[in-house]
Amino acid sequence: MRILKADNITMKFGGLVAVSQFYMELNKGEIVGLIGPNGAGKTTAFNMITGVYKPAEGRIFFQDEDKEVDITEYRPDEITKLGIARTFQNIRLFKELSVLDNVLIANHLRLKSDVFSSILRLPNYVKEEKEMYEKSIHLLEDVGLQDVMHEKSSSLPYGKQRRLEIARALATNPKVLLLDEPAAGMNPKESLELMDFVGDIRDRFQLTIFMIEHHMQVVMGICERIFVLDHGVTIAHGTPSEIQNNEKVIEAYLGVD
Amino acid sequence: MKKGRLELNIIAMALFIGLLFLFRITFDSYKMKILNLCGIYIILGLSLNLINGFTGLFSLGHAGFMAVGAYTAGLLTMSPAMKEMNFFMKPIVPFLAEVEWPFFPALLMAGVISALMGFLIGSPVLKLKDDYLAIATLGFSEIIRVIFTNTQSLTNGALGLKGLPIYTNIWWSWGAAIFTILFMVFLIKGSYGKALKAIREDEIAAEAMGINLFKHKVMSFTMGAFFAGIGGALLGNLLGTIDPNMFRFVLTFNILLIVVLGGIGSITGTVISAVVVTVAMEALRVLDETINFGFVTIQGIPGMRMVIFSLLLMIVILFYQQGLMGTKEFTWDWFFNGKGFRKTLKKEVK
Repeated sequence: MRILKADNITMKFGGLVAVSQFYMELNKGEIVGLIGPNGAGKTTAFNMITGVYKPAEGRIFFQDEDKEVDITEYRPDEITKLGIARTFQNIRLFKELSVLDNVLIANHLRLKSDVFSSILRLPNYVKEEKEMYEKSIHLLEDVGLQDVMHEKSSSLPYGKQRRLEIARALATNPKVLLLDEPAAGMNPKESLELMDFVGDIRDRFQLTIFMIEHHMQVVMGICERIFVLDHGVTIAHGTPSEIQNNEKVIEAYLGVD
Repeated sequence: MKKGRLELNIIAMALFIGLLFLFRITFDSYKMKILNLCGIYIILGLSLNLINGFTGLFSLGHAGFMAVGAYTAGLLTMSPAMKEMNFFMKPIVPFLAEVEWPFFPALLMAGVISALMGFLIGSPVLKLKDDYLAIATLGFSEIIRVIFTNTQSLTNGALGLKGLPIYTNIWWSWGAAIFTILFMVFLIKGSYGKALKAIREDEIAAEAMGINLFKHKVMSFTMGAFFAGIGGALLGNLLGTIDPNMFRFVLTFNILLIVVLGGIGSITGTVISAVVVTVAMEALRVLDETINFGFVTIQGIPGMRMVIFSLLLMIVILFYQQGLMGTKEFTWDWFFNGKGFRKTLKKEVK
């Protein structure tokens, strides 16, 4: 079943066409990869899907329960509320706040009590806050960060910061998770651990995952389908083995004489 | 909250109220005025800290909100006879001429009108960021001042208002201060406060986590404006005289100074530094007078205290770059296990 569809979205910065006519469909439960050389427009595609940029052309659709919603004009926070969460290429944690607070903040979007019941600690707020705490602590246990929950998030080692960023995205209760280079800066061992982790959370949280990744071992190992972008144009789409043997892809990555 | 903390807070509160009683008996009117100013500056400092420190919005419009608050409360509390005496150039607008409210509703109204201004200004201006926001809010505050100088029949223009009833006493100023402290503590500890901090830390990430940036920024700005209005109203009814020139942007910087010195993003820090700055500004007044050391006499130079005060500030900021408290808060655990019994003010900040 289709859950997310980008229908020929195009992004222009001045005269530069960063992404041109990007067409993509995600089916429920898939792990799909997006690869391409530096500057190919991968993150721009992500930013369009998550509402940071408004596409110049094309529409984006999200399958919300049983109706399809056009999310092209939605703000990033509205898109997150619908169920598309993301992580960032350069980790963007709330640095000065604790690990637990980082995850708690991601629960804020579901808070129903208003600000005055929060200040007066009315029963409806207290109940919600308790649930948020329990849920966050449970999530941190799930991803193996319970021991560092009261540490400042910026004091964590790099690999754990990546993991926390994913945990924080999971706390928003997403249906689709977009990972922007989750293995960037990791050594081969950490990358493989991450690969297992991503597969694991997909099953446990019933997610659909769309990830940008440069680490070919990770991409080929985990993704069921792969899109390849080069200079904003989709040059290939297929299973990992198809992509590995695609001439255009090899050309884009290695050049041709 | 752990058991026992509540008792400690109540004891601290009771001690503090006892202390206020003691001050009231022993202090002369000059010292009482300074004590009142301390309370008012706590309110003002905290309201600016909510906007600048916790939400990360660089706003410099505080004097404007204070002016709105001070004038609202002033016009509502002055007796009709006093208004007639004040408005000799041009009669006051009819709907205000006969109004005379008790202090409490006038104070609330000052906050509400100021919050309304905050909401109206915030809606367009909060699309801006950083320095641009600072300039825009500074501009707003100056516009308010200029408008107040020119609306003769509403604010009595440059002549200002004289003979405001002196309602503000330590119970009002410190009562409002304690209320503000509690409000901020509960706000910041709650989910909304965390969302505000998230916006300060990283706007893009906060938005990606489903936080409606605009709604939360406007909320913080409006609340800040509300308390600034209350602070302005208390100040007006303490001094008894207000005029538009009181609310120049220097006033905003005085409050900003309190916030920066205390630690941007620390309630405890703001409370401590509001008291320290207010007292120091007065205590250093001796420097303006002729000082006789016995062997040498220094002629009084007006303004000398500001030189020394600025020097002291620079020294403090050199040694505590994050302000006195950074983003830390006072806790009882810290009080008992920490570095002995430092002379921490017994504020009920948890």
